Amino acid sequence: MNSQILKMMGSFVLLILAQVLLFNQINIFGSVNPMLYLFFLVMYPFDQNQTFYIFIGFVLGFFIDFLSQTGGAHTIASLSVSYLRPIIMKYSYGLTSELPKSILTDPRKTNNFLFLLIFISIHHLIYFAIAYFSADAFLLIIKNSLLTMIFSLILILLISSLYRVK
Amino acid sequence: MQRILNVFVKYRNSILYLFLLVFSLIFLKANSNFHQLKLEKISLFFSSSIYSFSNSINRYFHLEKENQRLLKENEVLKSIQIKSNTPFLYSEGYNNKTNFPFDVQKVNIIKNSFQSQYNYIIIDKGAASGIKIEMGVISNNGIIGLVQAVTDNYASVISILNQDMKINVRFKNRTTFGSLIWKGKMPKKFSVEDVVSTSSIKKGDTIVTGGMSSYFPYGIPLGVVTNLENNIQNGYYKIDAELFENPAELYKAYVIENRDFKEINSLMKNIKQ
Repeated sequence: MNSQILKMMGSFVLLILAQVLLFNQINIFGSVNPMLYLFFLVMYPFDQNQTFYIFIGFVLGFFIDFLSQTGGAHTIASLSVSYLRPIIMKYSYGLTSELPKSILTDPRKTNNFLFLLIFISIHHLIYFAIAYFSADAFLLIIKNSLLTMIFSLILILLISSLYRVK
Repeated sequence: MQRILNVFVKYRNSILYLFLLVFSLIFLKANSNFHQLKLEKISLFFSSSIYSFSNSINRYFHLEKENQRLLKENEVLKSIQIKSNTPFLYSEGYNNKTNFPFDVQKVNIIKNSFQSQYNYIIIDKGAASGIKIEMGVISNNGIIGLVQAVTDNYASVISILNQDMKINVRFKNRTTFGSLIWKGKMPKKFSVEDVVSTSSIKKGDTIVTGGMSSYFPYGIPLGVVTNLENNIQNGYYKIDAELFENPAELYKAYVIENRDFKEINSLMKNIKQ
């Protein structure tokens, strides 16, 4: 149990550093930066206290915002997405079926992918909506969210397969 | 208390979420000028719509006061209007006159009837406010009647809707005089009598007060000619007229006082003797 907490804390710090130092500088097609730090919110065990999870989502977004100077867009997006996680889970795994302990250990591949897709798309839509914060930029918001979503999804799928190997 | 706590515990996630969301919005506002500007715009939109809503409610409660103010203003304007109506025939002579003998006072009509052939009106001011017998009562667009009796605080008025009333009228921009009499059926239908058939009158002519009686000044607009028949046998026109305003629907009026009434009356008495 202790090693589990240590592992989570270690990946928390690592993911923030990786996001700020490495993935924020990638700039694919000029401006697209995949958001790897979402992986922490995705892999966080499902059976833990939801209230604490919301708080963690807030703190994570806050650190990313703080270190990459993006106002509060990451905070609001990751806070909202962690608040919505139980609902997303119900939709992607079915209302009646047994909820998985963690996305890393669950064998239902399609449902895992669906969960990731919804989770990331909601996060990115909120993030870009707040970053542009204007109804005129609607198409720009959609375009940026879609592009960034593709890269974030690929990265997170890769990282999660790495975790699974361990 | 237990229930409140239970609700709090039940919705703790949502409460925490909203709390942190507000916090991050403040964080966002403090960190970015662009977002600060946008958020201020949104808050301005909400606050302005709330203020305009409360303002419209407030205005509704002040309507009575506003009404009183407007009536007072009307009172002043009415006296100016009456003073400015000088008859075209003697325009020069009237313009030179230094005193205009009419005073205007605002009253409320508290009882009005039109069902009978001889209608009366009660107004809410009497001798205590300086109302006297035989003063004229007018509205914005016409005559209402003549004061018939006064008590300390009330006065009764012979309505224009009374077949005993004959009002001296003339046609606007013409030299013809006549008498306006109620027909006794509809509140707005009147007839004009005593108009000689040699005078030139057309349908649609405006009827104004004649100024020959000492009750009403010259030139208060009353109505229009709606029908015209030339009766050759007795040499008089048969004229139907319609008033601008229904006297039975009014609840505000102005009492006008001719300050020279006694003077004129004494002259009339001398003539009769």
